[in-house]
Amino acid sequence: MASRVALKTKSKGAKGGAKPADERSAVKCLKEWSTWTIKKAKVITHYGFIPMVIIIGMSSEPRPSISQLLSPI
Amino acid sequence: MATLVPPATNPPPPPSPDSKPAEPEKVDYMDLPCPIPYEEIHRESFMSLKPELFEGLRFDFTKGLNQRFSLSHSVFMGPTEVPSQSAEVIKIPTAHYEFGANFIDPKMMLFGRILTDGRLNARVKCDLSENLTLKANAQLTNEPHMSHGMANFDYKGSDFRTQLQLGNGALFGASYIQSVTPHLALGGEVFWAGQHRKSGIGYAARYNTDKMVATGQVASTGMVALSYVQKVSEKVSLASDFMYNYMSRDVTASLGYDYILRQCRLRGKIDSNGCTAAFLEERLNMGLNFILSAE
Repeated sequence: MASRVALKTKSKGAKGGAKPADERSAVKCLKEWSTWTIKKAKVITHYGFIPMVIIIGMSSEPRPSISQLLSPI
Repeated sequence: MATLVPPATNPPPPPSPDSKPAEPEKVDYMDLPCPIPYEEIHRESFMSLKPELFEGLRFDFTKGLNQRFSLSHSVFMGPTEVPSQSAEVIKIPTAHYEFGANFIDPKMMLFGRILTDGRLNARVKCDLSENLTLKANAQLTNEPHMSHGMANFDYKGSDFRTQLQLGNGALFGASYIQSVTPHLALGGEVFWAGQHRKSGIGYAARYNTDKMVATGQVASTGMVALSYVQKVSEKVSLASDFMYNYMSRDVTASLGYDYILRQCRLRGKIDSNGCTAAFLEERLNMGLNFILSAE
């Protein structure tokens, strides 16, 4: 009897513990995903910002030529 | 030495309707000028008293490829300060080369600078609509946890401006400034820094006429800053500044002058810490500027 009661409370405890564990892992997933996105965005900005500015500038009117971009004068 | 001066990002306020001296003053409270942005409230005194002083040799070359697009190459050799535990300041001689690209459009401005040690300094300013502007700036490094980014959304109304700031490390800020009379503008700001668990609130006031500008700013971080700039003539202006921190009982007062002449601009200041500084910018030739700085 005592063991059955103990079993019941154990299963209840396990069920009660599963729900918040699900929610916690969903929040954790979201946090991990947003951290991953911010890290990737930082790397992309770090390497890609200046090339992006150069591409936007080279495609604006009047179009400068590549030799003007590379020569030092 | 050609230097790149970033363009003024905000238009000057339109002249107030009662600026004619012959007519009696009749203030139209429905038609007040737009105030200057909250972070530029000390603009005149900053321009006179805080020029970009540097130590060493700096050579800037800006090459324009287009009306809107330009590249810049900059070489700097000089001592830089290294934070140290002792009271002495340690200076280490460094040299670096900086490459930059700027794209300036009436609606969008992109500014990027990258140094030889991998640090990127980027600024973006974009007019999303006639009254709403997005400004973002970021300093990215290769070292972990040393990068910063901040984005501002500015909304400009007919006689007020409001700004919302978001930064990394859970930094939030908001500010609002309103023109109360044609000469007086009052504003306030509030910020919250999640990482350092700090928050603060501050108020500012600015009174300007054609000849002088007086500003005052109080913040809950303990800072009180007052400044007064008098335009003595077209070419000369004098500025004074008083900063007091009532938490740490730290007081600094400075006095400075600003001469804007045809070929050069000379700024000098003296501080209550016993520090004098002078900054001379001279146009030697078309496109060649010469700068001398001393502190």
